[in-house]
Amino acid sequence: MTKFHSTGGTLIKDPWDVVAGVMLLGFSLLLLFYLVPNYIGQPPIMQNPMMSPRWLPNIVGWLLLVFSVLMIIQGVLIADDAEDNGRRFERGPLLRFALMALSLIVYAGLFEMLGAVISGILATLILFIAHPVRTWWVYGLAIVFPAGVTLLFTGIMNVPLPMWPF
Amino acid sequence: MENITEVLQLFLATENFVAIAVGVVIGVTVGSIPGLTATMAVALALPFTFSMEPVAAILLLVGIYKGGMYGGSITAILIRTPGSPASACTLLDGYPMAQQGEAKKALKMALYASVIADFISNIALIFFAAYLAKIALNFGAPEFFWLICFSLTIIISLASGSMIKGLIAALLGILLSLVGLDSVFGSQRLTFGNYNLMDSISFIPLLIGLFAIPEIIEFYRKKVIPHLRAKASGAGVSFSELKGSLKSIVRGSLIGVIIGAIPGTGATAAAFISYSDAKRRSPHPERFGKGEVEGVAASEAGNNGVAGATLIPLLSLGIPGDVITAIILGAFMVHGLTPGPLLFQENLPLIYALFLGIMLSSVILLFVGNAAIRYFSLIADIPKSILFPIVLMFCVYGAYAVNNDTFDVWLMLAFGVLGYVFNRTGIPAAPFLIGFILGPMFEDNLRRSLLIGSNDLSIFVRGPITWFFIALTLGSILLALYRFITSRQKAKQSASEPGAGA
Amino acid sequence: MKKILNALCTATCGGAVALSLSVSTAQAQDWPTDDVRLVVPYAPGGTTDVLSRRVADLLQEELDTNVVVENRPGAGSTVATGRLARGGRDIDHTILMASPGHTIGAAIYPGLTYDPVEDFVFIQNMIDIPNVMVVPADSPYNSVLEFVEAAKEQNMTFSHSGVGSSIHMSGELFKTLTETNMTAVPFAGSGAALPALLGGDVDVSFENMPTVFSHIQSGDLRALAVTSAERSEFLPDVPTLKEIGEYNLDQFVTTAWFGLIAHHSFPEEATAAMQKALQEVMEREEFTSFVEQLGAEKGTIAGDEFKAFITDEVARWDEVATEAGIRQE
Repeated sequence: MTKFHSTGGTLIKDPWDVVAGVMLLGFSLLLLFYLVPNYIGQPPIMQNPMMSPRWLPNIVGWLLLVFSVLMIIQGVLIADDAEDNGRRFERGPLLRFALMALSLIVYAGLFEMLGAVISGILATLILFIAHPVRTWWVYGLAIVFPAGVTLLFTGIMNVPLPMWPF
Repeated sequence: MENITEVLQLFLATENFVAIAVGVVIGVTVGSIPGLTATMAVALALPFTFSMEPVAAILLLVGIYKGGMYGGSITAILIRTPGSPASACTLLDGYPMAQQGEAKKALKMALYASVIADFISNIALIFFAAYLAKIALNFGAPEFFWLICFSLTIIISLASGSMIKGLIAALLGILLSLVGLDSVFGSQRLTFGNYNLMDSISFIPLLIGLFAIPEIIEFYRKKVIPHLRAKASGAGVSFSELKGSLKSIVRGSLIGVIIGAIPGTGATAAAFISYSDAKRRSPHPERFGKGEVEGVAASEAGNNGVAGATLIPLLSLGIPGDVITAIILGAFMVHGLTPGPLLFQENLPLIYALFLGIMLSSVILLFVGNAAIRYFSLIADIPKSILFPIVLMFCVYGAYAVNNDTFDVWLMLAFGVLGYVFNRTGIPAAPFLIGFILGPMFEDNLRRSLLIGSNDLSIFVRGPITWFFIALTLGSILLALYRFITSRQKAKQSASEPGAGA
Repeated sequence: MKKILNALCTATCGGAVALSLSVSTAQAQDWPTDDVRLVVPYAPGGTTDVLSRRVADLLQEELDTNVVVENRPGAGSTVATGRLARGGRDIDHTILMASPGHTIGAAIYPGLTYDPVEDFVFIQNMIDIPNVMVVPADSPYNSVLEFVEAAKEQNMTFSHSGVGSSIHMSGELFKTLTETNMTAVPFAGSGAALPALLGGDVDVSFENMPTVFSHIQSGDLRALAVTSAERSEFLPDVPTLKEIGEYNLDQFVTTAWFGLIAHHSFPEEATAAMQKALQEVMEREEFTSFVEQLGAEKGTIAGDEFKAFITDEVARWDEVATEAGIRQE
């Protein structure tokens, strides 16, 4: 906040902050009035309210409510340029991003089914194509690494990764 | 005199030297791989120690412990993936440094800070064990409660930029840390009946997800930029830089020693406390988080300062302060030794042989670390398009390895998305982490104090240790307020004088 | 890493001994035909983990096959146990180190997907660790009866290592049987609980023997009683709660037991082969000295006897959990 702004034209100075603030506000309300009463059990007898399993979640919920309101106000009034620099960048093609998301889905969804080696090779290949990597021998790494690292984990570190689809 | 020869006899065995060296090498290697922690390596090495001599057995495990503590920082600095939880703080400045082509400097500083902290920690273990153990015993729930309160105030100094966002991050961290079974009543909290959540959210998937994954998402979201062959190997640490950070290193080590001597706080908290302390004292705190070498030094000093000191309650009281020391305790028992007050009376030569070995392990860490840096810093030269897919693979395998369950892979990806959202909205991740670590400790010790004191609130001011930490907490808050107000005034002044501020 | 360690081991401390031992038991067998998986339902570092690694190390020499230890922590051992109950691949070569968490977990965790008794084969109980009723050295109470009488008048606090641990449940059992006022103070593990006891912040604890033994010897803690059926040979002067008898304490017999179980489809010849091998393991000097170090006793029950014991335990903890209100619905 070392700079002085005179962006009088727009009504809301930092729309990102306002959006995030509104979402947090919604979340804190959900937490306070739905999640805490329904998903945190409370023993029938309690000598001290501070002993309750709901005590800290409730306090966190209320504080979150207050701070999200403050965040909205801040977003409306102050544009925070110093931070913005890191937050804005030139977006790449959608396909690139979609392929990355696909590789994450491959890991999360197919890890147990296909085993560590195959899902690792698949996801790594997708990511190489997404960039795209143009050196052909690099694609060999997509096979060598998942296989090698899986062996390292299962053989040496005793981690029972799912190996193959069976 | 007789004792000295006995100590030397126990210590000067080739087996000991090999054990330490192998231990440190394993520790650095395993510690640097995300998801594979020093804890796992120590557990795996345990059966191999059954047939070894007791001194060599313990030294092997201690070597892994110390090596792992440093090893975690390597990947934290190079690929923003903390190899072990305790190095999460190191990446705050280490990764920006690596991006600016100063990877080698960051790695070297981390190593030197680790070794110096290790050394100070060992000295504390050898000379002040009895004294520090007494402090640990006087550290009951109320004292702990105030220590946590003080530690929570470091969120204020960690929240770079917007204070509100920092506090929101911390609150979210606390909230997520409460998921699981209630520690007093055993009732479920926000688990939604899911078994995987009952033992609360695993720390390692959270850590990897929060830091490594957003970096990968962002890379594929951005427009392709040609790989800049930054001279990643770059320059090392100059003597004057080391000297400049020395005060922070020593302070960090002492913080680590005290935190380590008190069972149950952990190296991660020590690293953050040390880091925020260095930031507060620094003449240019605004550089922290953007690649300040002193930040790397402070956090590594904090977490390695813990490594020797956790052996204090272990050896003198038989109390393990963390999981690794619990395994080392097991190794003692397998060899027919019970750490505790009697060990010092019955097996003094063995203790001193161990002390010598532990000192030696710090020296070996220096050499092994230097060798590791030479090879690891090459990672910084690899184009991100090749590096990131492989990093992601390590992250997925590592997250799975924590509980051997795909659930943790999902969890890691979910935290990856959360971390990405944090980046976009400017909510800092470090306070989130602090909240997550300290939240349960805050609540548990509050409730424990109430249970012990039968709801009598006077237990919270029961002795000098509580008064000391209350004073520290208040002082820390007041200092933050003072800084906030003065910086506001400065901003106003510069704003009213056009040209001066820009 | 295994290789490096193996090399280290061989080079420096005669790993050849281990090799020569494993040769002797090699003979034609139907089981095992593959590596044996030993599942530890807790994270590395606890008693269960260290014991399992010790047992696995000896067992692989007796069985002449690899015994791989695998940690699957979660929800007080019920996650790993549930997985075992579901069966699946290699189920005829998978065993699990069960402990009081098996029976207590069945009592306090809601919606278990398995039956703690019928879904398993009970191979062999390996060790029994007594719990010790300890008070701080400067405590005014010198006997169990003095303590109970005081606890009838005023509220006492007892520390434990976490909801559902055998230490916690022992305290709740004591409270229920003696009808006294006691408050449970939870800690994250025995390590964290011990300072509160040593420092006198809590009045009493029913800690596992290995955790407190050296402190009893050094005089920092005073043992009032042990919870096993017989006096412990390590604390011969300390009475059992059963001996004391008054205030229903004759019903108070409990130990932290650790035994191997498997899926109910575990082949009979495998159970027999395991039991035979475990008998050998339990007679090994390394095992004996390890058990002594823990202040524990070797387990004596196997097979049906072991199963009957589990049945009783499940029923008992179920009752205590309901009484203490820590049961989840």
